[in-house]
Amino acid sequence: MIKTGKFVYEPGEHEAEKASNSYLMSLIAVIAGLPFPIVNLIATVIFFIANKKGTYFVRWHCIQALLSQFSLFFMNSFAFWWTIYILFGEKTITNNFMAYLITVFFFNLLEFIATIYTAINTRKGMHIEWWFYGNLTNIFCKA
Amino acid sequence: MRKALIQGLIIIILFFSTWYIINRVDWMKVFRVEQATKNTEEKLGELFWDFFNRSETEIEDQYVKEVIDSLVAKLCSENKIDFNYIKLHILDKDEINAFALPDGHLVIYNGLILATENQEELCGVISHELAHIMLNHIMKRLVKETGLSVLISMTTGNSGTEIIQETAKMLSSSAFDRNIEKEADIKAVDYLIQAEINPAFFANFLYRLSYHDINTNKYLTWISSHPESRERGEYVIEYCTDKNAGNKPVLNQNTWETLCEKLRN
Repeated sequence: MIKTGKFVYEPGEHEAEKASNSYLMSLIAVIAGLPFPIVNLIATVIFFIANKKGTYFVRWHCIQALLSQFSLFFMNSFAFWWTIYILFGEKTITNNFMAYLITVFFFNLLEFIATIYTAINTRKGMHIEWWFYGNLTNIFCKA
Repeated sequence: MRKALIQGLIIIILFFSTWYIINRVDWMKVFRVEQATKNTEEKLGELFWDFFNRSETEIEDQYVKEVIDSLVAKLCSENKIDFNYIKLHILDKDEINAFALPDGHLVIYNGLILATENQEELCGVISHELAHIMLNHIMKRLVKETGLSVLISMTTGNSGTEIIQETAKMLSSSAFDRNIEKEADIKAVDYLIQAEINPAFFANFLYRLSYHDINTNKYLTWISSHPESRERGEYVIEYCTDKNAGNKPVLNQNTWETLCEKLRN
């Protein structure tokens, strides 16, 4: 699921730090954003905008972090609004709902672990490409 | 691009299949959701009944209680409803009203019993309320109108008495939405037929009360809170025409008359 390799050039210390921070940004946002899924996305979007004119390595990892947040955003938003409808609306707790929450938790956990791993290794200057998100980033991010 | 699309599709399939597989486990049982819901319902039932018990007078006459109980028991036994779950309360009030509370509390006002002309009409109203209980209409309505969070705060004592009072009043004096009322009426007809009580009497009761001017008679709560009684009477008749409903009275005429006499006094 995660491919470790060399980038097209050797990133400098400063670049590695910034690229690693793009993942840390989404991690910090996960903690604050658990009840509000949009917070994660906003945090990574802000970091991406701030580094839009950064080096290729920094931009690449900012985009990968941002794209990975997109899918989580949809999953978590659905879980969030479903819960809100149960608490304040006419929906009731069903097995389907519980299964969805567990699935979303599982996917969030996977993303969380992958983010920590990527943040650590990117800081070392290594290039980490995620399955699907890596390919997608290659399409969007040009040198 | 093609590779990314295929991988994206695989992730979506993976997500939904994980959801599907996890859904095979009965999480409601694992997390004891049903037990927690049952406990909440019990507490709410107690809470609302306490409100009516404090503000109204319950009829304690053994004869009255036993006679109405026998009607409820007949309807329950013929329809496989757990009789012990139904908690019958007869209140000494002139209002023509009957309503259900959470956890099987069935409240009938003295005024309603006296407004019925025979035991079959009363059985019709009881069946309608039993249908609300058995179809879980009360809890669904409470969740819809007050929200689960407020209900839980009520049971944990974190909610003000005003909210409890308002919710109790809402349950006793306003109807469910039209479709829910129709569902309860149709179920009531099934209960009556199963208990060999002709639903035409219930329809007749609805027709009769629909002719009263509800604006001038403040005691007609059950009808004013259940609009379109005439229409309801019509679809009750329509539904039971081809059902071949017989009629075997539960009580003998003497018992019914004694009951009415006792309630009048």
